[in-house]
Amino acid sequence: MNSRPVVLVTGANSGIGLACAEAIARKGYRVYATYRNPRKAGHLWRLSRSLPLFPLLMDVNRTPSVQKAVSQILKKEKRVDALINNAGFVMAGFWEDLSDKDVRDQFETNVFGLLRVSRAVLPFMRKQGSGKILNIGSVAGFAALPGLGAYSATKFAVNSITEALRMETRPWGIDVTEINPGEIQTSVVQNARLGERVKSPQSPYTPFTKYFENFSKERFEKAAPVEKLVGVVLKALEDRPMKRRYLVKLDDYFTYYLRWLLPDALWEWGLGIMFPWSRFPR
Amino acid sequence: MDKYPVALITGCSTGIGLETSLLLARQGYRVFATMRDLKKSSSLRQAAVGLSLEILQLDVDKPASVKKAVSAVLKKAGSIDVLINNAGWGAFGATEEFTDKEIHAQFETNLFGLLRVTRAVLPAMRDQKSGRIINVGSLAGKMTFAGIGLYCATKYAVEAVTESLRLEVRPFNIQVGLVEPGVIETRFKDNRRKAQTFFQEKSAYQPVMEKVFAWSNERAKGAPGPEKVAGTILKALRDRRMALRYALGFDAVWYPVAKWFMPSFVYELVMRRMYGRFLKEPA
Repeated sequence: MNSRPVVLVTGANSGIGLACAEAIARKGYRVYATYRNPRKAGHLWRLSRSLPLFPLLMDVNRTPSVQKAVSQILKKEKRVDALINNAGFVMAGFWEDLSDKDVRDQFETNVFGLLRVSRAVLPFMRKQGSGKILNIGSVAGFAALPGLGAYSATKFAVNSITEALRMETRPWGIDVTEINPGEIQTSVVQNARLGERVKSPQSPYTPFTKYFENFSKERFEKAAPVEKLVGVVLKALEDRPMKRRYLVKLDDYFTYYLRWLLPDALWEWGLGIMFPWSRFPR
Repeated sequence: MDKYPVALITGCSTGIGLETSLLLARQGYRVFATMRDLKKSSSLRQAAVGLSLEILQLDVDKPASVKKAVSAVLKKAGSIDVLINNAGWGAFGATEEFTDKEIHAQFETNLFGLLRVTRAVLPAMRDQKSGRIINVGSLAGKMTFAGIGLYCATKYAVEAVTESLRLEVRPFNIQVGLVEPGVIETRFKDNRRKAQTFFQEKSAYQPVMEKVFAWSNERAKGAPGPEKVAGTILKALRDRRMALRYALGFDAVWYPVAKWFMPSFVYELVMRRMYGRFLKEPA
């Protein structure tokens, strides 16, 4: 008889997902940590020896894989108390340099995958009359950046899905929130995918792309340690009810409130200083 | 030699697309009004007699169709000065109950289709070193409503697309803007599709969703018509420096402001009241 809450974390083989899964397991929750690539799950299996952490194969892009994993959990535990929708990646590149497939792949994982797992879990949460869903969003979910448009668009969409789910599932005692980290020290930059035409010599955006690379490298030098985000996730898991949205570091609050306060024209003027395209040779 | 600006507009069989193509044609634009299904072109054809307006087939879901239409316009007119991304529809239903297929279909038209047409047109605009792109967004891109969560997600994404694309193409003297109508009296309500599960009568959300549909029908009555949106689009095209956003209608202008200034819990209370009391109790 185990009464400890069951948490499902997607994309848990590295970065934010791994850190969250480990910390949550240390708190005594029973954690189902999913990974897509078995070859990259070594660390999860090592952790599973000493913690109530159970690695599980799941590709959020594929419905059968999601359904199989969720039904495995339910068979064993008969419940799911919280879902942390973390699986995602960054597609970098200016809009014109992205192909149809690039855009679709980005949405498949970051948005449709999130919906897929949520939809698989929700019927059970409704049955048990409780549950929490934490979507990992991003600061890019309320401030879109050039060169990162596709990623921003997925996170804007997640923002909206969080709001909708929050209203729709509330009658069954289900609480939904979004956590919006800014730059966090993970391998998200190394794991970023580049759009099809980003490195092509024909791309008219090459000078901007170079500038953007340096810009994001510099930003990530000041990234916050992942523990900071983990603390917020743990807090959200214990909050009752959860806040509508959680931010992580001071920088993010600053961006959030600036975007909120400044009229579009001023905001864009600021971005124009950060990304001085017009001074580039073409 | 007088050259009329060339406008390419998607989704022109009804509503906002139809009104916008007529208005721009009357204002001296050479308009290429496109739609997925040419069988639905009769009302536009009748209204456009004597105007410089041509009707073309373009299905934003299909890369080949987009390519064909854009190159046809370039061949006929030599340039594309204005692109209006209007094609779209609304998926109604509880977020939990959409199938993968329904989710894909909703994003395919409202977001991927918009991007497809934009990417097809951008090379020409960069070559001519000028151009304007207007995306038809929505109040639903700033605020999410229960029962149309998926539609809202596509419109939120369109906000991000506009914001980022605008800065990306500015060096090429291309301007990108967003027109955000609130609830508009159009055929949108006929063009919406309900989630399949909804019809199978096993939906746990059914009592809730019935009220959302009734509420949205109610709201569309007496709302501003699509010609108002067309007017705003024309204004955006005439502004020397196009702004990022043009909201129109009382709701589209003021609801987001209210959302910004309300504390979270008050906002959520208001949203729940807006739909009546139905979000309180499960069926």
